[in-house]
Amino acid sequence: MNLCKEMLYTTCQSVRNQGSYSPISCVASHQLRLLYSSLSTAIASSWSRALTQISPYTFASVGIAISIGVSVLGAAWGIYITGSSLIGAAIKAPRITSKNLISVIFCEAVAIYGVIVAIILQTKLESVPASKIYDPESLRAGYAIFASGIIVGFANLMCGLCVGIIGSSCALSDAQNSTLFVKILVIEIFGSALGLFGVIVGIIMSSQATWPAKTT
Amino acid sequence: MSRVIKKFFIASMVMWIAPVAILYGFNNHIFPGTSKLSSSSQTLVSGFLAVISVNLVIVLYIIMAIKEPGSNMEHQPDPAFLAEAKASINQPAAVTTDDNAQTREKAE
Repeated sequence: MNLCKEMLYTTCQSVRNQGSYSPISCVASHQLRLLYSSLSTAIASSWSRALTQISPYTFASVGIAISIGVSVLGAAWGIYITGSSLIGAAIKAPRITSKNLISVIFCEAVAIYGVIVAIILQTKLESVPASKIYDPESLRAGYAIFASGIIVGFANLMCGLCVGIIGSSCALSDAQNSTLFVKILVIEIFGSALGLFGVIVGIIMSSQATWPAKTT
Repeated sequence: MSRVIKKFFIASMVMWIAPVAILYGFNNHIFPGTSKLSSSSQTLVSGFLAVISVNLVIVLYIIMAIKEPGSNMEHQPDPAFLAEAKASINQPAAVTTDDNAQTREKAE
């Protein structure tokens, strides 16, 4: 009973302060706000503490794995889509094979971007003494390598898929009408630029991943 | 056909070896003047040079593939098969010619 009176009193005060004229919603929102803030500080502190206690090496290694693993996934997907259409269309029109291998080369370039960034990232991974492993600077380096890997991996995944599907229609339409090849190649160049964007941002992101110096 | 495959294979190999060699050279200071760069600019320069080399190989392969004459290797049907097909068309028996006409229409 006392609690209800207290709630009503604080509600009326807040109504007067805020000038809002709907006390029921005011009570509900006030209580919810109190509950939310106490819960959120509890939840936020435990989650953020858990996240910052994960070693930055974990994030960095997962980033390197994603950069090459997911890029190769995209490249392989593109190559098998293009390759199966190319081989099928070349039954009746064998002249298309020499020009349409360009699509396969585009897809393979996507895989090579992943390899380049993985090599760059693994040179960025250095050991720090155990006392400095949770310093903000080394967390930053770990997160930068992780982000760089994800950027490159997923950009290349979509780029490989895109170039693969375009390359497959390129092969099929070239078999019917060879004047269409150059026009579809232009679309494929735009598609392959997507992977390039990912690589550029990934390299720039990884260049600023500096770990704290070894000397104390 | 083997010329096509050889060109493709060489382009693929160069596309792999060139960027890895560039990265290796920059990281182990094989190229002259690379030891003066700070770590972040070394990463940037080596990364961009590697990506540019891959794109250069792609452009060279596109030029090589489009310039190719192409129509020299026309698809020639096997001469033995051709002779057998011609012989089966000119068969004197009426039944076999009817059958051949039907199969030819189906193939159309």
